[in-house]
Amino acid sequence: MTTIDLNLVGAKGALVEEAEGKWGMVIDQDICTGCQACVVACAMENNIAFVGEEDSGYGRSMHWIRIERFWEGEYPEVKMTHYQPMLCQQCGKAPCEPVCPAFATVHSQAEKVNLQVYNRCVGTRYCANNCPYQVRSFNWRDYNDDRLDEAIASLKNHFNPDVTVRRRGIMEKCTFCIQRIHKAQDKAKSEGRAVADGEFTTACAQACPADAIVFGRVDDPESLVSQLARQSHGVHHLEELGTLPRVTYLVGGQ
Amino acid sequence: MIQKAFKWLMQPLGLAAVLIVALAVFSLVVWGIAQTQKPPEQPVPQFPHQLHVSFGVQCLYCHPGAVRGPSPGLPTVSKCWGCHQQIAKTQTSVKLAPLKAAHDSGTPLQWVPVAQVPDFVQFNHRPHVAAGLNCENCHGDLSKVDIYENPQVMNMGWCLACHKEKSAGNPELYIKLTDCGTCHY
Repeated sequence: MTTIDLNLVGAKGALVEEAEGKWGMVIDQDICTGCQACVVACAMENNIAFVGEEDSGYGRSMHWIRIERFWEGEYPEVKMTHYQPMLCQQCGKAPCEPVCPAFATVHSQAEKVNLQVYNRCVGTRYCANNCPYQVRSFNWRDYNDDRLDEAIASLKNHFNPDVTVRRRGIMEKCTFCIQRIHKAQDKAKSEGRAVADGEFTTACAQACPADAIVFGRVDDPESLVSQLARQSHGVHHLEELGTLPRVTYLVGGQ
Repeated sequence: MIQKAFKWLMQPLGLAAVLIVALAVFSLVVWGIAQTQKPPEQPVPQFPHQLHVSFGVQCLYCHPGAVRGPSPGLPTVSKCWGCHQQIAKTQTSVKLAPLKAAHDSGTPLQWVPVAQVPDFVQFNHRPHVAAGLNCENCHGDLSKVDIYENPQVMNMGWCLACHKEKSAGNPELYIKLTDCGTCHY
């Protein structure tokens, strides 16, 4: 049997690079109450558009994080399982990335997250079709254009200036609040120190009243998120697809 | 019908008409392009940057946000008035009339930002200043111009040319400075 030296072909290096993350998240489904505070906080932080009743009916509602509900058993013995907040898993080997013809969804070498470059996106929606987690949302209209909807004009001041206001025809998804990552790094650098664990967090984690969402560095074994993710009841969703997700879910802990 | 019109156009009078129409279209296009290249009208139309610089006023005195965060800011009326109230000419000068009017009526001066990037670019002044860049490296020599105009097109190629130059020989910095997510999110 012939063996291939992975060190020689460079594949090992590539795999190691994909396997190591930088930022990661742990979501404890046991304590998630399904209150949707994360959904609201995410929408406010990231200028996510309100699509309205009609478009929502077409399944065009835009959320970067959503609370999934599942049921077990046959009626009438129906039991609800844990609430499951689902957001972009920032896969180390993301299925959305190789299918983009415009290289609009690329892997950040610096932050090791999956980026969506709005000005490159041409709206083919291949990435959303190839995402096993169904977490990408598409701007079917100019939802934030006050020329089209006068009611929007009064909402202009709620926009977060650190995040692009997206226009029609482009895809968007969770960025792990990269604007907060940059802000924390910028602040730490101006003070001549490293970013401390727990110094900042994502909008969803900040809003969670049950502290079910924890965000931090997964490449630091001492960080809270790494310690939580190491627990035996931690699972990665659709791990069998080889996507190397950065979000660890805790289900059925004691 | 078409042949008749063509015949008429081939006459000297017709040719002259064609020439006049062509000239009119051409000058309209030139005028239209010139309109897009004009710097925007500022609330103080003849604001002299070079005079302020020659008095030794630092850039950061009027645009202090550049060392602190993303936006350097544009001076408010009270910032202008801090110095100008002690200058007798402010009361009489025609050039300074908009400032005096704004101060007396309490309305803000609505400066039009010129050095701008599109909404999908998240630019932060602080790290650029902290990296040792001076204002004139990007904004040109303000001791030579009155109304500010961008000395070059501020596009991505221009940003990246400098980023690549500054990070040459430092692979970690190179990755950071050429990463899409550094500016676009």
